[in-house]
Amino acid sequence: MKKSRLIGGLLLLCFLPFLSYAQDDQEIAPVTRTFVLKNATIITQPGQMIENGQILIKNGLIEAVGKSVSVPSNAKVIDVDSMYIYPGFIEGLSRTGVPRPKDEERREIKDPGNPPNDAAGIQPERSVVDLLSADDSSIESMRKLGFTAAHVVPHGNMLPGQGAIILLGGSSPEEMVLASNTSLFSQLEGARRVYPATTMAVMSKWRELYQQAKQAQQHEKNYKNNPRGMTRPSYDGTLEAFYPVLDQELPVFFTAESVKDAYRVLALQEELGFPLVLAGLKQGFYMTDELKAKGFPLLLSLDIPESKEEKKKEEGEEEDKEKAKPDPEKEALKKRQKEAIAKHQSQAATLSEAGLTFGFSTLEVKSGDVKNNLMTMIEKGISEEKVLASLTTIPAKMLGMSDMLGTLEKGKIANLVITDKPYFSKESNVRYVFVDGAPFEYEAKKPKKKGDASAKVSAAGEWSYTINIPGQAMSGTFKIKQDGDGQISGTITSPDDGSEGELQEVVLSGNNLSFSFPYDAGGQAMKVSFDVIIDGDEVEGTVTAGSFGTFDVEGERIGVPD
Amino acid sequence: MRSIILLLLFGIIASWLPAQEGTLLIKNGTVLTVTNGTLENTDVLVADGKIRRIGKSLSAPAGTLTIDATGQFVMPGIIDAHSHLALDGVNEATNPVTAEVWVGDALDPLDVGIYRALAGGVTASHAMHGSANAIGGQCETIKHRYGVYNPNELRMEGAPRTIKFALGENPMRVHGEGRNIMPRTRMGVEQVFRNAFSEAKVYMAAQEKYEQERRSNANAVPPKYDRRMETLADILRGDIIIHCHSYRADEIAMLMEVCKDFGVDRLCFQHVNEGFKVAPELADFGAGASVFADWWAYKFEVYYSTAYNAAILSKNGVVTSINSDDSELIRHLYHEAAKTQRYGGLSDDEALALITINPAKQLGIAERTGSLEVGKDADIAIFSAHPLSVYAIPQKTIVDGVIRFDIENDPDDMRLDVNPAEDVPAVYLHTEEIDNCMEGVFEQLFMGEK
Repeated sequence: MKKSRLIGGLLLLCFLPFLSYAQDDQEIAPVTRTFVLKNATIITQPGQMIENGQILIKNGLIEAVGKSVSVPSNAKVIDVDSMYIYPGFIEGLSRTGVPRPKDEERREIKDPGNPPNDAAGIQPERSVVDLLSADDSSIESMRKLGFTAAHVVPHGNMLPGQGAIILLGGSSPEEMVLASNTSLFSQLEGARRVYPATTMAVMSKWRELYQQAKQAQQHEKNYKNNPRGMTRPSYDGTLEAFYPVLDQELPVFFTAESVKDAYRVLALQEELGFPLVLAGLKQGFYMTDELKAKGFPLLLSLDIPESKEEKKKEEGEEEDKEKAKPDPEKEALKKRQKEAIAKHQSQAATLSEAGLTFGFSTLEVKSGDVKNNLMTMIEKGISEEKVLASLTTIPAKMLGMSDMLGTLEKGKIANLVITDKPYFSKESNVRYVFVDGAPFEYEAKKPKKKGDASAKVSAAGEWSYTINIPGQAMSGTFKIKQDGDGQISGTITSPDDGSEGELQEVVLSGNNLSFSFPYDAGGQAMKVSFDVIIDGDEVEGTVTAGSFGTFDVEGERIGVPD
Repeated sequence: MRSIILLLLFGIIASWLPAQEGTLLIKNGTVLTVTNGTLENTDVLVADGKIRRIGKSLSAPAGTLTIDATGQFVMPGIIDAHSHLALDGVNEATNPVTAEVWVGDALDPLDVGIYRALAGGVTASHAMHGSANAIGGQCETIKHRYGVYNPNELRMEGAPRTIKFALGENPMRVHGEGRNIMPRTRMGVEQVFRNAFSEAKVYMAAQEKYEQERRSNANAVPPKYDRRMETLADILRGDIIIHCHSYRADEIAMLMEVCKDFGVDRLCFQHVNEGFKVAPELADFGAGASVFADWWAYKFEVYYSTAYNAAILSKNGVVTSINSDDSELIRHLYHEAAKTQRYGGLSDDEALALITINPAKQLGIAERTGSLEVGKDADIAIFSAHPLSVYAIPQKTIVDGVIRFDIENDPDDMRLDVNPAEDVPAVYLHTEEIDNCMEGVFEQLFMGEK
């Protein structure tokens, strides 16, 4: 049973999406709910800074912010020396904590031209609160970026339901919800294979529902006043969901990524007159004048295209070598594409330049891209201060939460993000996030060790290693022998029974050591390959286990050759 | 210092004046008015997007953009009475009756096809719903103002409302064969019309009853608002022109009977391949006919056809137009019109009328476009030779007095919006669906079965 633990661990990876969460929980047991953060640069709100400041957090609220605060005896003091504290970020529109519904079996709709409302994507009566899941992995992925609150909405098509404002912490939906039924969410999104399937049918249905809701509301009012002799109004939850919109009390968050959709939504709004937040914009740069004239609150999509060249650089790829045959037509098309990418990346800068303010929608963006995209926007000319406002004060105000969220002030909910460098710098790491006064701690990413082909190091000796598989760690040892002729070989020891196996393809090039060994995983032959950099008595690199994937590995020399 | 400011001010004014709303002078062309004959060596003066004067040696205020059309032919902008250009969605194919939907809600001003149509002298088109449903959606008459980003700016304001109907195989195939519901047969298609109009009459009666009751009873309950019924009622009231996809003569006669029974008289048939069989009946009814010059045999019901169709219809007094229904054909409608001179011997003006004043009449916009007359919109196409000649090349196309196509300033890439995720845009030389009127249907019928 050689290396069985390693392989067993790798097999576990198949179930990772279910397992990693339970094991990854970083919540610190609430011994105390009083914290003092010391010696940090505190950005209390965009444009306002306290150097060497302190924050006192008590029972989920910010109790004091200043140069110095009194430290209660029961406080846990966290020394965040030389770190930066910002108000927790707010997602203006997202589905964080709302799991994607499983693909239903294809439902047989008897009359596709007149389907039930839920199949048609018309569910405005539904509340996202009933769809929340406190252990959805999206919460942690957004939180570790510094997001502490979100305006979340259900998945769906034309009218998926009502939104709520949640905190990105807490062990149950009840603990997370800050405000429920805060918006009606809508998209120009047709239903699958049933009416309304197209944009034009969605627009028509919208108008019809709106007018019907007006009628129904009036009917109900009249009936309440004097029911005698009047046909009783029939109950219709779908239309009832529109009443607060008709009363101008509930905003419609309408997504409109393209410039065409944005104009369509604006036209629909002008016709019907509902309170509107225009969300998920990707092409606002085509219509800054109209956006200014209309003055609706805006949420820009955080999903922006990446420049092809940057991508290549990141991947370490070289430039295309096909340049032998220049193709002017293709070059011209590529040039226009490049311009288009730049326009999209500059949307925030362009709108900001035009004097518009906005929050961000994270509906379409991968969490892994968020920080990069924010940095790209800043590179394209919007100030860090404005981006911070778009993440904090502006969405707080848009959502009616300015008394609770958005700044670091006494009395507000203790949502904050703490970074080792200024947030908007490439090397910064989020080290702590507080949500509702509860701390989440994060490790700083260590800079990767660098390969050096001309380095002269010895690999000889016995090494311990730890493979960092999400949710667990696998450890073991291997031995490397180097003889005088430069011949190199080695063995690896099973952590289980101590038996040894020969290493293959052992190569030391500069400070880069690589080797592999075969493994028979229950009848399936598999190669496990190590590729590490030696730095003194430490190694760091990656291990690839067949088709299971590649994982970080690190280790140290625990024995030198005799 | 003051002079610099003045200079700057002048620069600003000079730069927005021409763009503001077309003002220009076309000098010394052969002007094909279509409705008032041909005028040699004639000028056309355009101001604020309208034709102000047509005559010899006209002068314009200093600074007016002047186009020298010596040796060139100036004609009214071509109008296509059947197109699916500039649409994000053609068919809402989920129901045999979708009168409430409106392609005007899904206009695509970024469609580069608009520019290509301009390059063929086409200044306006009838963006139609498809023919999947017996009663399809409402259509939209658009002006080819290529360059705008706001879909609403494509609309021809004030143009009458129109709606797409469809006879024959398309609605039968989509709903009958596809979903096993009515209409499965041509008889069923007729019944769909009769049912829809009858329901609309019930709806109208209920509304009328409510309006009366309301006078004496403030608590009267209105009938539930229904946009489909509202639209059908508007057809019955004569507020909407029916444009009906049709091929066979028997069915064309059928729809005229249905319309007579329900008192509907604003009707134009599209395709009408067997129109030549019922030309006198069409003329009696006052129905229009918008045909292909010579395109047929793409499905069973379109075999009995002739290239003389347009000429026969015209000679019988039917208001006839030649349409494209296609983003490629729309670029040379002047060729299509010329075919009626080979097949039917129409005169120049009769042939040109097929792509100008006649489609304008069918769309209810002849008061404003379709010919070169003082007071009409300045929608103008300038050709290198007579537009019915195979050697004619479009030179400039003007919409509302604004030059939207100029062969001398015609860069390769005229896309308004470029997909940042696409290296090289996809070009489709052939589409799977032969019939443009059926665009989007198969996705809705068979999605998820790929």
